[in-house]
Amino acid sequence: MKTTVKIILCVAMLMASVTTNAQVKAFEKYADTKNVTYVYISKFMLRMVDASSAPSVPGVNTQSLMKKLNGIQIISSDNKNAIVRLKADAQSIVKQGKYELLMQMDEDGEKVRIYHSEGKQQSVVVMMADEGDEFTVIVFSGTFTMEDVMKMTQ
Amino acid sequence: MDELNWKELEQIPIPEGLEDRLSAKIDEWERAEQQKKARRLMLPRVVRYTSIAACIALVFGVGYYFLQKEEAVNLAEQDTYQDPVVAQQEAEKALNLLAYNLNKGMGQMEKAKAISDRTEMTLNKQLQVLEK
Repeated sequence: MKTTVKIILCVAMLMASVTTNAQVKAFEKYADTKNVTYVYISKFMLRMVDASSAPSVPGVNTQSLMKKLNGIQIISSDNKNAIVRLKADAQSIVKQGKYELLMQMDEDGEKVRIYHSEGKQQSVVVMMADEGDEFTVIVFSGTFTMEDVMKMTQ
Repeated sequence: MDELNWKELEQIPIPEGLEDRLSAKIDEWERAEQQKKARRLMLPRVVRYTSIAACIALVFGVGYYFLQKEEAVNLAEQDTYQDPVVAQQEAEKALNLLAYNLNKGMGQMEKAKAISDRTEMTLNKQLQVLEK
């Protein structure tokens, strides 16, 4: 009986670690998908440039969050078929992962959804922008809190 | 009674060649039994070899799967930009887009809050007038 419990606990722990890791890995399949542009910026690249450089948009402080990022993935497509697939996949990834809807905006034919998932090891913010003829998913992952994200709105 | 029967039996003449026929029959049964045993031994051996082959196939399969996966992951984890300045600009662009959308959403929330505050103020004024 004890052995069974131990085995169940081990499997549960293994599954939990796989799920946490799978949050961002899920988007990596687009790296080699036709008609889809996949951009990956690593932690290393984000740290290479002097963080003290002036913000490109006045009033918006992106540096505090930039320092805590482990990577950015930008997945976009303007191909109709690819958009359908990308939309369905992105929605299913967000549903399967433990993401919560942070913000939803529908304006002038543009739909923006922002999801977030906060974990001890890694936090993720996923932004989906649907402009009709173009669909973009941006994934920010790192060791940040929601407060760090909301600082950009102040 | 038993003694009598035995004695009678002993007196019956043994047919010629009966001993040879009996021993031949016993040999035949023995051979058949050995063949059965050999067949019984064969089955576990087949099962053993099949399970070993299945294990080897599984190990190779799992190894191949992980190698393939690693290749795909490596492709995904390769930096798109080799120039850190360009990477930084792209990262900032992405962050600014996030900030822009968050600000837009928060702006709408503030508008809604202002309308709600105004409504509450008007309602309070009306209530005060009614109380007087």
